[in-house]
Amino acid sequence: MAAVKLIPQLLSWAVIVLVLLRGFPARRPIVTAACLSGFLVGVAGAVVLFRSFPETIPFGVVKSALGTGFLLFWGISVVALYRSTGRRVATSGGARFVTTSSGAGAGALLAGIIAGAVCACRLPGPDGNLPALLTLVLGAGILTLFALAVEKMLPASLTVSPSGVLTAVVALLLFSSSSILRLDLFSPLSMKVMKGVHDFVHQFMESVLIPDHLFVRSEVWGYIGLLFGKEVGFWGGMVIWFTPAILIALAISFERLPSVAHIRQGAQRRKLVAAAIKARRYRLVIPVLSVAIFAAGAYQSRFPSVEYWDPKPVPVSANQEGEIFIPKKGEIDLEDGKLHKYLFKQGGQEARFFVLMTPGGQLTVVLDACSICKPDGYGQAEGTVICYYCVTLIPLETVGKPGGCNPVPIPFAERADGVAIDGKTLINSWSSTVSATARVKEGGK
Amino acid sequence: MAPAIIETGGLSKSYGDICALKPLDLQVPEGEWLSVMGHSGSGKSTLMNLVGGLDRPSAGSLRVGGEDLLMLSEDGLARFRREFVGIIFQQHHLVPYLTAVENVMLAQYFHSVPDEAEARSALERVGLGHRLKNRPGELSGGEQQRVCIARAIINSPKLLLGDEPTGNLDHKSTVMVMELLRELRAEERFTVIMVTHNQEVATWGDRTIYLDDGVLVREERTRS
Repeated sequence: MAAVKLIPQLLSWAVIVLVLLRGFPARRPIVTAACLSGFLVGVAGAVVLFRSFPETIPFGVVKSALGTGFLLFWGISVVALYRSTGRRVATSGGARFVTTSSGAGAGALLAGIIAGAVCACRLPGPDGNLPALLTLVLGAGILTLFALAVEKMLPASLTVSPSGVLTAVVALLLFSSSSILRLDLFSPLSMKVMKGVHDFVHQFMESVLIPDHLFVRSEVWGYIGLLFGKEVGFWGGMVIWFTPAILIALAISFERLPSVAHIRQGAQRRKLVAAAIKARRYRLVIPVLSVAIFAAGAYQSRFPSVEYWDPKPVPVSANQEGEIFIPKKGEIDLEDGKLHKYLFKQGGQEARFFVLMTPGGQLTVVLDACSICKPDGYGQAEGTVICYYCVTLIPLETVGKPGGCNPVPIPFAERADGVAIDGKTLINSWSSTVSATARVKEGGK
Repeated sequence: MAPAIIETGGLSKSYGDICALKPLDLQVPEGEWLSVMGHSGSGKSTLMNLVGGLDRPSAGSLRVGGEDLLMLSEDGLARFRREFVGIIFQQHHLVPYLTAVENVMLAQYFHSVPDEAEARSALERVGLGHRLKNRPGELSGGEQQRVCIARAIINSPKLLLGDEPTGNLDHKSTVMVMELLRELRAEERFTVIMVTHNQEVATWGDRTIYLDDGVLVREERTRS
């Protein structure tokens, strides 16, 4: 089962090796060695991190590495586009370094480390699952040899520029991490964009129009309302996600043709120009394919193939004192580490909440809503709860703490045999939270 | 003597039961102007098509410019024609809805990339600088043939093939076209193979071979 889960990561790994080999055809031995040793280091490093620290830290480290890679990619794409105009930039030395043995080896090593760590993060129990780790390393080694053989069969005309290599490697790493909830970058990116836009529009309205927005008609408010939709985050995230790959593709298509003015014979001159145009067209193949890989990553992020634990809310009622009591043991075991949802109705009002035992052994009661997003509720997967609206992952350890995307905590009393919640407090808490966040009120998922 | 640009050994071509060209051994030195004469159906055009890579032989060997044409794939033959050969036909085969300069640029396009300035210059070289924007229907037969010459030489071929290029022209136009070809050959140093019925046209070449019923029956040196 673990092997099946690793298919996207291992396939991405094979293509990463293939692209690196084709990108540095004169450095095949060093690229192969660096890729393999990098992968081993990545896997071993992840295992050490998982053994030494709580789960959140290793995931955080790998995610930061991925994020840094994406930022670097952004920077290089802008520089590449600038350079394609023929202007000299201070980073020209860096571009030359990449094509040396050391540069190609360092790039391959780094790609291998991150890819290895991402694969290790995908394994269940990565800190002690020795058979799975050995299978992973063996599989990666076989795929490296496979990539080496396939690369030799590719037509010689299919060349890859260093910026194309970077585009493909970043795209493939992000693709392979997008199916791991705690490494996925696209969802947090969309969320940040959404929050950024919301905050900006809100502050702008506050400072410019409110309180006396006499000249702004309701239709205008309708358009402004679009900026508060979930789609703002998605489309804004897509722009940030795709732009660097598109900039690299543009940079390649703007590359200057070689100077042929010194060649006397017209046919020879045109032949050289045609060959340069053809080579440039082939170099575009990888960045254009990378755009498709980025799209696949975004799709995986938006529609992850993860089965969420999403129990149907169980209706509960209050006793005469207005207290809701939920037993620890019974049909539902509150201490099994899973979230358990409940629905409480009173006087035409309702509130949804869930009870969860955190990894620290602490029972906690929270609303099935946060104070920011529309109350679409939470699911649970891979050691986190996830907000269905903004796809933010909340580590189980932090459930019960107030603020941000965390579900709103509810006061409760823990007794020996269960938890007791005040119904009125619950309803009030839900009402005040939801009235602030729900543009379209929904009964639940 | 210059090295041979064309070498054939027992080269023959049959269409079903009809043997259009019987085993032929021929060598053409680089830079030579070879005239090929014979009656209709004697195998002149067949020989030209084989040498130009437009058709494949039935038997024998054929090397042109060091390339064994029998070993080339269809793509290889297309590249050979594109880069090595220029052809002038009796019927011109100009695209009627393109101007003279566009017809020349079309040959550039299939070779590599179009270059209008170079195409204009080629037409100026053949004396058509004032007819650049005219379509074939607006040109005389001689002018059309000169567009064909510009088109044939635009990609700097090593081998120029002419299949009755003056067959449709009057005497004055014929002389003009032949003089033009002689000048261009002196400048570009390509090899010419000219198929013709016309004895006078054949004498413009260095050597003439005579085919009859697919067999080389005679050859004579026409120029020193």
